[in-house]
Amino acid sequence: MCEECGCQTGNNSDKKIVEVNRSLLEANQEIAHGNRQHIERLGAKAINIISSPGAGKTTLLEATAGVLSEEINFAVIEGDIETEKDADRIRARGIPAVQLTTGGACHLDASLVHKGIHQLEHVISEGGLDLLFIENVGNLVCPAAFDLGEHKRVVMVSVPEGSDKPAKYPRAFIGSDLFIISKTDLLPYFDFSVEEASKEARRLNPDIEIITLSAVTAQGMDHWIEYLWGMVGLRP
Amino acid sequence: MHELSLVQGLMEQVRQIARENNRERVTLVRVRIGPFSGVVTESFSFAFHALKTDDNLFSQSGLEIETPEPEFSCSGCGRRFDGSKIRDRARGHDFHFPFDWGRCPACGQEALHPEGGDEILLLQVELE
Repeated sequence: MCEECGCQTGNNSDKKIVEVNRSLLEANQEIAHGNRQHIERLGAKAINIISSPGAGKTTLLEATAGVLSEEINFAVIEGDIETEKDADRIRARGIPAVQLTTGGACHLDASLVHKGIHQLEHVISEGGLDLLFIENVGNLVCPAAFDLGEHKRVVMVSVPEGSDKPAKYPRAFIGSDLFIISKTDLLPYFDFSVEEASKEARRLNPDIEIITLSAVTAQGMDHWIEYLWGMVGLRP
Repeated sequence: MHELSLVQGLMEQVRQIARENNRERVTLVRVRIGPFSGVVTESFSFAFHALKTDDNLFSQSGLEIETPEPEFSCSGCGRRFDGSKIRDRARGHDFHFPFDWGRCPACGQEALHPEGGDEILLLQVELE
């Protein structure tokens, strides 16, 4: 339509070039920013945990509950394609949990997490949140592109997956703050080089912190717990 | 990755821009996809062309994807390089992100790391 008088014959045939320079993920980033503020208003910090399926994200959270649930108020937002299974495992430890099911999508996005935070507000007790874990859908590729409003991003690789994972999935390591190598109790049985995995992760991201641990034997759990204390800014 | 959903998001942004400008046809969409964004440009392009056919606004539209040269910096000596320098250093071997970089061309340390390059931007829209 003509911009001058509103007639239908205007200058429609002329090309118009609009400069945009806007991220395709901008909508997600805006919601993520809101989530971060929302979480801070609840008095908490959030961690987004990314890994392949089966690396042990839920097991690590169960083990963390075993150590910390008396000392830090935490809650979990679980992301999966289907089922309440993971949230049920966390609830069985007495930890408030909300299950988000993406219904097929391979990653959580900020708007889903926003819904999760609102659901969580119904299940956490008064003044009761220091730390929020967001367990992403098991996938080392897509979750890496989506800010959820977390304060720290953790990427986790388990020993059976192989030490070439940082090299193969660079984006997840470039964007993360902490790299956890899990299931170290299995090191004697697999050809996994902690040195190679660490070197490649640091090559992608020189600032990444690295913790090796086993939720089964508790090796390295003290470093993880210390990292969490550092995040909430309290010490026992 | 999730190129299809990125393209859906792109089309939503462009639709909004066309509406604001009272235009009924998009003739060209220009995007920039960083070398470390994780986006596969072929899949992105495929998704765009698959989705545009059923859509009057986009059916005539082209897609131009700008892919900037990857950049690296050395945490040993602090210098920055673009991918072409690293490639020369590797004596003409094909460049593959991320582990065929070789050493830092300046100080020789194995301390190169990717710098930026994770952008996925809608640059420009041509409307008719």
